[in-house]
Amino acid sequence: MKTDDLIRTLAAEPATPAGLSVDARALLGTVGGLILTLALFVTALGPRPGLWQAWADPLVLAKSVLPLVLGLLALALALRAVRPGRAAGAPGRAIAVVPVAAAGLFLFAFATAAPGTRMALFLGHSIPVCLPAIVILSLPVLAGLLSALKRGAPVRPAFAGALAGLAAGGLAATVYSTFCTEDSPLFYAVWYALGITLAALAGALAGRRLLAW
Amino acid sequence: MSDRNARWGDLLSRALAGDGVAYATFLTETSEVIRRVVRARSPGGAEDIEDIVQEVLLAVHTKRHTWRRGEPVSPWLWAITRYKTTDAFRRRKWRATLPIEDFAEILPEIGAGDITAPRDLERLLGGIDARSARIVRAVGLDGESAGDVGARLGMSEGAVRVAYHRAMTRLKQLAEMDGTE
Repeated sequence: MKTDDLIRTLAAEPATPAGLSVDARALLGTVGGLILTLALFVTALGPRPGLWQAWADPLVLAKSVLPLVLGLLALALALRAVRPGRAAGAPGRAIAVVPVAAAGLFLFAFATAAPGTRMALFLGHSIPVCLPAIVILSLPVLAGLLSALKRGAPVRPAFAGALAGLAAGGLAATVYSTFCTEDSPLFYAVWYALGITLAALAGALAGRRLLAW
Repeated sequence: MSDRNARWGDLLSRALAGDGVAYATFLTETSEVIRRVVRARSPGGAEDIEDIVQEVLLAVHTKRHTWRRGEPVSPWLWAITRYKTTDAFRRRKWRATLPIEDFAEILPEIGAGDITAPRDLERLLGGIDARSARIVRAVGLDGESAGDVGARLGMSEGAVRVAYHRAMTRLKQLAEMDGTE
Protein backbone atom coordinates (compact mmCIF):
# COMPACT_ATOMS: atom_id res chain seq x y z
CA MET A 1 0.00 0.00 0.00
CA LYS A 2 1.28 3.45 -0.88
CA THR A 3 1.66 5.86 2.02
CA ASP A 4 -0.53 8.42 0.25
CA ASP A 5 -3.30 5.85 0.00
CA LEU A 6 -2.93 5.03 3.69
CA ILE A 7 -3.17 8.73 4.56
CA ARG A 8 -6.29 9.04 2.42
CA THR A 9 -7.86 6.07 4.20
CA LEU A 10 -6.99 7.38 7.65
CA ALA A 11 -8.13 10.91 6.82
CA ALA A 12 -11.58 9.57 6.07
CA GLU A 13 -11.91 8.97 9.79
CA PRO A 14 -10.56 12.09 11.49
CA ALA A 15 -12.70 12.49 14.61
CA THR A 16 -11.71 11.32 18.07
CA PRO A 17 -12.94 7.75 18.53
CA ALA A 18 -16.18 7.63 20.48
CA GLY A 19 -16.25 6.51 24.08
CA LEU A 20 -14.87 7.55 27.42
CA SER A 21 -11.45 9.16 27.78
CA VAL A 22 -8.52 7.20 29.20
CA ASP A 23 -8.73 9.23 32.43
CA ALA A 24 -12.42 8.51 32.90
CA ARG A 25 -11.87 4.82 32.24
CA ALA A 26 -8.98 4.73 34.69
CA LEU A 27 -11.15 6.34 37.34
CA LEU A 28 -13.91 3.81 36.71
CA GLY A 29 -11.40 0.93 36.69
CA THR A 30 -9.86 2.08 39.96
CA VAL A 31 -13.17 2.63 41.72
CA GLY A 32 -14.57 -0.65 40.40
CA GLY A 33 -11.46 -2.52 41.50
CA LEU A 34 -11.52 -0.80 44.87
CA ILE A 35 -15.11 -1.93 45.48
CA LEU A 36 -14.03 -5.54 44.89
CA THR A 37 -10.97 -5.01 47.10
CA LEU A 38 -13.16 -3.65 49.90
CA ALA A 39 -15.57 -6.57 49.54
CA LEU A 40 -12.65 -9.00 49.79
CA PHE A 41 -11.26 -7.10 52.77
CA VAL A 42 -14.53 -6.99 54.70
CA THR A 43 -15.13 -10.68 54.03
CA ALA A 44 -11.67 -11.94 54.95
CA LEU A 45 -10.26 -9.41 57.43
CA GLY A 46 -12.38 -6.40 58.41
CA PRO A 47 -11.28 -3.26 60.23
CA ARG A 48 -9.67 -3.48 63.64
CA PRO A 49 -11.76 -2.62 66.72
CA GLY A 50 -11.29 0.98 67.83
CA LEU A 51 -9.93 2.17 64.47
CA TRP A 52 -11.00 5.77 65.01
CA GLN A 53 -9.31 6.02 68.40
CA ALA A 54 -6.19 4.37 67.01
CA TRP A 55 -6.00 7.00 64.25
CA ALA A 56 -5.61 9.65 66.93
CA ASP A 57 -1.97 8.51 67.10
CA PRO A 58 -0.14 10.18 64.18
CA LEU A 59 2.09 7.11 63.74
CA VAL A 60 -1.00 4.95 63.21
CA LEU A 61 -2.60 7.54 60.95
CA ALA A 62 0.62 7.70 58.87
CA LYS A 63 0.31 3.95 58.30
CA SER A 64 -2.90 4.66 56.35
CA VAL A 65 -2.13 8.09 54.91
CA LEU A 66 1.32 7.38 53.45
CA PRO A 67 0.21 4.50 51.19
CA LEU A 68 -2.89 6.48 50.23
CA VAL A 69 -0.78 9.45 49.11
CA LEU A 70 1.57 7.07 47.30
CA GLY A 71 -1.33 5.34 45.55
CA LEU A 72 -2.96 8.56 44.37
CA LEU A 73 0.31 10.05 43.11
CA ALA A 74 1.16 6.79 41.32
CA LEU A 75 -2.28 6.88 39.72
CA ALA A 76 -1.63 10.38 38.41
CA LEU A 77 1.77 9.25 37.13
CA ALA A 78 0.31 6.18 35.44
CA LEU A 79 -2.14 8.41 33.58
CA ARG A 80 0.74 10.55 32.39
CA ALA A 81 2.78 7.50 31.41
CA VAL A 82 0.13 6.43 28.89
CA ARG A 83 0.28 9.76 27.06
CA PRO A 84 3.30 9.91 24.75
CA GLY A 85 5.71 12.76 25.33
CA ARG A 86 4.13 13.72 28.67
CA ALA A 87 6.67 14.36 31.43
CA ALA A 88 6.13 13.07 34.98
CA GLY A 89 6.01 16.69 36.23
CA ALA A 90 4.84 17.67 39.69
CA PRO A 91 3.50 14.26 40.82
CA GLY A 92 6.81 12.75 39.74
CA ARG A 93 8.66 15.00 42.13
CA ALA A 94 6.06 14.77 44.89
CA ILE A 95 6.02 10.96 45.00
CA ALA A 96 9.58 10.91 46.37
CA VAL A 97 8.20 12.42 49.59
CA VAL A 98 6.53 9.10 50.49
CA PRO A 99 9.62 6.86 50.73
CA VAL A 100 11.56 9.69 52.39
CA ALA A 101 8.79 10.10 55.01
CA ALA A 102 8.63 6.33 55.54
CA ALA A 103 12.39 6.17 56.03
CA GLY A 104 12.19 9.12 58.44
CA LEU A 105 9.46 7.40 60.46
CA PHE A 106 11.50 4.20 60.52
CA LEU A 107 14.56 6.03 61.88
CA PHE A 108 12.42 7.92 64.41
CA ALA A 109 10.86 4.67 65.64
CA PHE A 110 14.26 3.02 65.76
CA ALA A 111 15.67 5.85 67.87
CA THR A 112 12.72 6.01 70.26
CA ALA A 113 12.21 2.25 70.78
CA ALA A 114 13.96 0.57 73.68
CA PRO A 115 16.93 -1.37 72.22
CA GLY A 116 15.56 -4.72 73.41
CA THR A 117 12.18 -4.25 71.69
CA ARG A 118 13.36 -3.16 68.24
CA MET A 119 13.69 -6.60 66.72
CA ALA A 120 10.28 -7.71 68.04
CA LEU A 121 8.64 -4.54 66.65
CA PHE A 122 10.38 -4.98 63.30
CA LEU A 123 9.32 -8.61 62.86
CA GLY A 124 5.87 -8.12 64.41
CA HIS A 125 3.50 -11.06 64.33
CA SER A 126 1.74 -10.78 60.97
CA ILE A 127 4.22 -10.75 58.10
CA PRO A 128 2.68 -13.91 56.56
CA VAL A 129 -0.72 -12.13 56.52
CA CYS A 130 0.49 -8.66 55.64
CA LEU A 131 2.47 -9.41 52.48
CA PRO A 132 0.01 -11.69 50.68
CA ALA A 133 -2.95 -9.56 51.81
CA ILE A 134 -1.51 -6.38 50.30
CA VAL A 135 -0.65 -8.13 47.04
CA ILE A 136 -4.02 -9.89 46.75
CA LEU A 137 -6.01 -6.78 47.68
CA SER A 138 -4.10 -4.85 45.02
CA LEU A 139 -5.06 -7.22 42.18
CA PRO A 140 -8.64 -6.01 41.53
CA VAL A 141 -7.49 -2.40 41.31
CA LEU A 142 -4.53 -3.39 39.16
CA ALA A 143 -6.78 -5.29 36.77
CA GLY A 144 -9.27 -2.42 36.50
CA LEU A 145 -6.50 0.09 35.99
CA LEU A 146 -4.59 -1.92 33.38
CA SER A 147 -7.70 -2.51 31.30
CA ALA A 148 -8.26 1.26 31.25
CA LEU A 149 -4.62 2.11 30.49
CA LYS A 150 -4.68 -0.19 27.46
CA ARG A 151 -6.57 2.54 25.67
CA GLY A 152 -3.72 4.92 26.27
CA ALA A 153 -0.37 4.80 24.49
CA PRO A 154 2.41 3.94 26.96
CA VAL A 155 5.78 4.22 25.23
CA ARG A 156 7.25 2.27 28.17
CA PRO A 157 4.65 -0.43 28.83
CA ALA A 158 6.46 -2.10 31.75
CA PHE A 159 7.02 1.24 33.46
CA ALA A 160 3.38 2.26 33.04
CA GLY A 161 2.38 -1.16 34.39
CA ALA A 162 4.68 -0.70 37.38
CA LEU A 163 3.04 2.65 38.14
CA ALA A 164 -0.38 1.00 37.93
CA GLY A 165 0.88 -1.68 40.33
CA LEU A 166 2.24 1.00 42.65
CA ALA A 167 -1.13 2.77 42.62
CA ALA A 168 -2.99 -0.49 43.26
CA GLY A 169 -0.50 -1.53 45.96
CA GLY A 170 -0.75 1.84 47.71
CA LEU A 171 -4.54 1.70 47.78
CA ALA A 172 -4.50 -1.95 48.89
CA ALA A 173 -2.06 -1.14 51.72
CA THR A 174 -4.33 1.72 52.81
CA VAL A 175 -7.26 -0.68 53.03
CA TYR A 176 -5.18 -3.32 54.78
CA SER A 177 -3.82 -0.77 57.30
CA THR A 178 -7.29 -0.46 58.84
CA PHE A 179 -7.09 -4.14 59.86
CA CYS A 180 -3.45 -4.27 60.89
CA THR A 181 -2.54 -3.62 64.53
CA GLU A 182 1.22 -3.42 63.97
CA ASP A 183 1.54 0.27 64.70
CA SER A 184 5.31 0.72 64.72
CA PRO A 185 6.98 2.19 61.63
CA LEU A 186 9.69 -0.42 62.31
CA PHE A 187 7.11 -2.85 60.99
CA TYR A 188 5.00 -1.04 58.44
CA ALA A 189 7.68 1.13 56.83
CA VAL A 190 9.40 -2.11 55.81
CA TRP A 191 6.75 -4.73 55.21
CA TYR A 192 4.10 -2.48 53.66
CA ALA A 193 6.81 -1.13 51.39
CA LEU A 194 7.72 -4.67 50.40
CA GLY A 195 4.09 -5.60 49.71
CA ILE A 196 3.58 -2.49 47.60
CA THR A 197 6.82 -3.20 45.73
CA LEU A 198 5.60 -6.72 44.93
CA ALA A 199 2.37 -5.23 43.57
CA ALA A 200 4.41 -2.81 41.43
CA LEU A 201 6.47 -5.74 40.17
CA ALA A 202 3.30 -7.63 39.24
CA GLY A 203 2.13 -4.49 37.45
CA ALA A 204 5.40 -4.20 35.52
CA LEU A 205 5.25 -7.83 34.39
CA ALA A 206 1.60 -7.53 33.39
CA GLY A 207 2.16 -4.15 31.73
CA ARG A 208 4.99 -5.40 29.57
CA ARG A 209 2.60 -7.87 27.97
CA LEU A 210 -0.76 -6.15 28.22
CA LEU A 211 0.16 -2.51 27.59
CA ALA A 212 2.36 -2.99 24.54
CA TRP A 213 0.67 -1.74 21.38
CA MET B 1 9.72 24.57 15.89
CA SER B 2 7.06 26.37 17.90
CA ASP B 3 5.51 27.55 14.64
CA ARG B 4 5.27 23.99 13.49
CA ASN B 5 3.84 22.91 16.84
CA ALA B 6 1.19 25.61 16.59
CA ARG B 7 0.37 24.64 13.01
CA TRP B 8 0.20 20.92 13.75
CA GLY B 9 -1.75 21.55 16.93
CA ASP B 10 -4.28 23.57 14.98
CA LEU B 11 -4.57 20.92 12.24
CA LEU B 12 -4.87 18.07 14.70
CA SER B 13 -7.52 19.75 16.84
CA ARG B 14 -9.54 20.46 13.72
CA ALA B 15 -9.05 16.85 12.67
CA LEU B 16 -10.20 15.49 16.01
CA ALA B 17 -13.30 17.66 15.67
CA GLY B 18 -14.06 15.87 12.41
CA ASP B 19 -12.21 17.86 9.70
CA GLY B 20 -10.87 15.26 7.26
CA VAL B 21 -9.03 17.78 5.09
CA ALA B 22 -7.10 19.15 8.06
CA TYR B 23 -6.31 15.59 9.10
CA ALA B 24 -4.99 14.66 5.64
CA THR B 25 -2.75 17.75 5.70
CA PHE B 26 -1.55 16.87 9.19
CA LEU B 27 -0.73 13.28 8.24
CA THR B 28 1.00 14.30 5.01
CA GLU B 29 3.17 16.93 6.71
CA THR B 30 4.07 14.74 9.66
CA SER B 31 4.73 11.71 7.45
CA GLU B 32 7.50 13.65 5.71
CA VAL B 33 9.23 14.34 9.01
CA ILE B 34 8.59 10.82 10.27
CA ARG B 35 10.13 9.45 7.08
CA ARG B 36 13.27 11.52 7.65
CA VAL B 37 13.54 10.27 11.23
CA VAL B 38 12.99 6.63 10.23
CA ARG B 39 15.47 6.90 7.37
CA ALA B 40 18.08 8.35 9.68
CA ARG B 41 17.65 5.52 12.16
CA SER B 42 17.10 2.64 9.79
CA PRO B 43 19.67 0.34 8.24
CA GLY B 44 17.01 -1.10 5.92
CA GLY B 45 16.06 -0.40 2.32
CA ALA B 46 13.55 2.08 0.93
CA GLU B 47 10.67 -0.37 1.08
CA ASP B 48 11.37 -1.17 4.72
CA ILE B 49 11.44 2.52 5.56
CA GLU B 50 8.09 3.13 3.93
CA ASP B 51 6.61 0.15 5.81
CA ILE B 52 7.81 1.59 9.11
CA VAL B 53 6.54 5.08 8.25
CA GLN B 54 3.14 3.52 7.64
CA GLU B 55 3.27 1.65 10.94
CA VAL B 56 3.99 4.93 12.72
CA LEU B 57 1.17 6.74 10.90
CA LEU B 58 -1.22 3.95 11.81
CA ALA B 59 -0.14 4.21 15.46
CA VAL B 60 -0.60 7.99 15.40
CA HIS B 61 -4.08 7.42 14.02
CA THR B 62 -5.07 4.70 16.51
CA LYS B 63 -3.79 6.71 19.47
CA ARG B 64 -4.79 10.21 18.29
CA HIS B 65 -7.07 10.58 21.32
CA THR B 66 -4.02 10.55 23.63
CA TRP B 67 -3.01 14.02 22.39
CA ARG B 68 -4.67 16.89 24.22
CA ARG B 69 -5.63 20.21 22.72
CA GLY B 70 -3.21 22.93 23.74
CA GLU B 71 -0.26 20.61 24.28
CA PRO B 72 2.69 20.69 21.85
CA VAL B 73 2.31 18.06 19.12
CA SER B 74 6.02 17.39 18.50
CA PRO B 75 6.96 15.63 21.79
CA TRP B 76 3.85 13.49 21.44
CA LEU B 77 4.63 12.63 17.86
CA TRP B 78 8.32 11.88 18.52
CA ALA B 79 7.49 9.62 21.44
CA ILE B 80 5.14 7.57 19.25
CA THR B 81 7.65 7.54 16.38
CA ARG B 82 10.46 6.37 18.65
CA TYR B 83 8.32 3.66 20.22
CA LYS B 84 7.05 2.32 16.92
CA THR B 85 10.38 2.44 15.07
CA THR B 86 12.18 0.70 17.92
CA ASP B 87 9.49 -1.94 17.88
CA ALA B 88 9.70 -2.31 14.09
CA PHE B 89 13.49 -2.65 14.11
CA ARG B 90 13.34 -5.25 16.84
CA ARG B 91 10.81 -7.28 14.95
CA ARG B 92 12.79 -7.11 11.73
CA LYS B 93 15.96 -8.26 13.39
CA TRP B 94 14.07 -11.04 15.11
CA ARG B 95 12.64 -12.18 11.80
CA ALA B 96 15.97 -11.98 10.10
CA THR B 97 17.55 -14.37 12.61
CA LEU B 98 14.89 -17.04 12.22
CA PRO B 99 16.13 -20.13 10.39
CA ILE B 100 15.02 -20.39 6.79
CA GLU B 101 13.16 -23.63 7.55
CA ASP B 102 10.56 -21.58 9.39
CA PHE B 103 9.78 -19.80 6.15
CA ALA B 104 9.48 -23.00 4.14
CA GLU B 105 5.70 -22.93 4.13
CA ILE B 106 5.23 -19.27 3.40
CA LEU B 107 8.08 -18.78 0.98
CA PRO B 108 6.74 -19.03 -2.53
CA GLU B 109 8.24 -21.96 -4.35
CA ILE B 110 11.08 -20.90 -6.57
CA GLY B 111 9.98 -20.70 -10.14
CA ALA B 112 6.39 -21.58 -9.33
CA GLY B 113 3.24 -19.95 -10.61
CA ASP B 114 3.13 -17.03 -12.94
CA ILE B 115 6.81 -16.25 -12.89
CA THR B 116 8.11 -19.44 -14.50
CA ALA B 117 8.74 -18.11 -17.96
CA PRO B 118 12.25 -16.66 -18.00
CA ARG B 119 11.29 -13.83 -20.28
CA ASP B 120 8.48 -12.81 -17.94
CA LEU B 121 10.75 -13.17 -14.96
CA GLU B 122 13.35 -10.84 -16.44
CA ARG B 123 10.65 -8.29 -17.08
CA LEU B 124 9.29 -8.65 -13.54
CA LEU B 125 12.76 -8.38 -12.05
CA GLY B 126 13.03 -5.04 -13.80
CA GLY B 127 10.10 -3.91 -11.65
CA ILE B 128 11.92 -4.32 -8.33
CA ASP B 129 15.03 -2.59 -7.03
CA ALA B 130 18.39 -3.68 -8.42
CA ARG B 131 19.75 -5.21 -5.22
CA SER B 132 16.67 -7.35 -4.65
CA ALA B 133 16.79 -8.45 -8.28
CA ARG B 134 20.42 -9.56 -7.84
CA ILE B 135 19.48 -11.54 -4.77
CA VAL B 136 16.61 -13.28 -6.54
CA ARG B 137 18.85 -14.14 -9.50
CA ALA B 138 21.63 -15.48 -7.29
CA VAL B 139 19.53 -17.41 -4.77
CA GLY B 140 16.48 -18.32 -6.81
CA LEU B 141 17.91 -18.94 -10.27
CA ASP B 142 21.59 -19.74 -9.79
CA GLY B 143 21.00 -21.69 -6.58
CA GLU B 144 23.68 -19.94 -4.52
CA SER B 145 23.42 -20.09 -0.75
CA ALA B 146 22.19 -17.06 1.15
CA GLY B 147 25.50 -16.97 3.02
CA ASP B 148 27.56 -16.72 -0.19
CA VAL B 149 25.33 -14.03 -1.65
CA GLY B 150 25.43 -12.13 1.62
CA ALA B 151 29.22 -12.24 1.70
CA ARG B 152 29.36 -10.82 -1.80
CA LEU B 153 26.83 -8.06 -1.12
CA GLY B 154 28.08 -7.23 2.36
CA MET B 155 24.84 -8.40 4.02
CA SER B 156 24.20 -10.92 6.74
CA GLU B 157 22.79 -14.29 5.73
CA GLY B 158 19.53 -13.51 7.54
CA ALA B 159 19.19 -10.16 5.79
CA VAL B 160 19.60 -11.89 2.42
CA ARG B 161 16.88 -14.40 3.27
CA VAL B 162 14.49 -11.67 4.33
CA ALA B 163 15.30 -9.56 1.27
CA TYR B 164 14.73 -12.63 -0.90
CA HIS B 165 11.41 -13.35 0.76
CA ARG B 166 10.28 -9.76 0.34
CA ALA B 167 11.38 -9.68 -3.27
CA MET B 168 9.48 -12.91 -4.01
CA THR B 169 6.35 -11.46 -2.42
CA ARG B 170 6.73 -8.33 -4.50
CA LEU B 171 7.33 -10.36 -7.67
CA LYS B 172 4.22 -12.38 -7.00
CA GLN B 173 2.24 -9.17 -6.64
CA LEU B 174 3.70 -7.87 -9.89
CA ALA B 175 2.86 -11.12 -11.61
CA GLU B 176 -0.70 -10.98 -10.33
CA MET B 177 -1.05 -7.40 -11.49
CA ASP B 178 0.21 -8.50 -14.89
CA GLY B 179 -2.40 -11.23 -14.94
CA THR B 180 -5.29 -8.93 -14.17
CA GLU B 181 -4.36 -6.33 -16.74
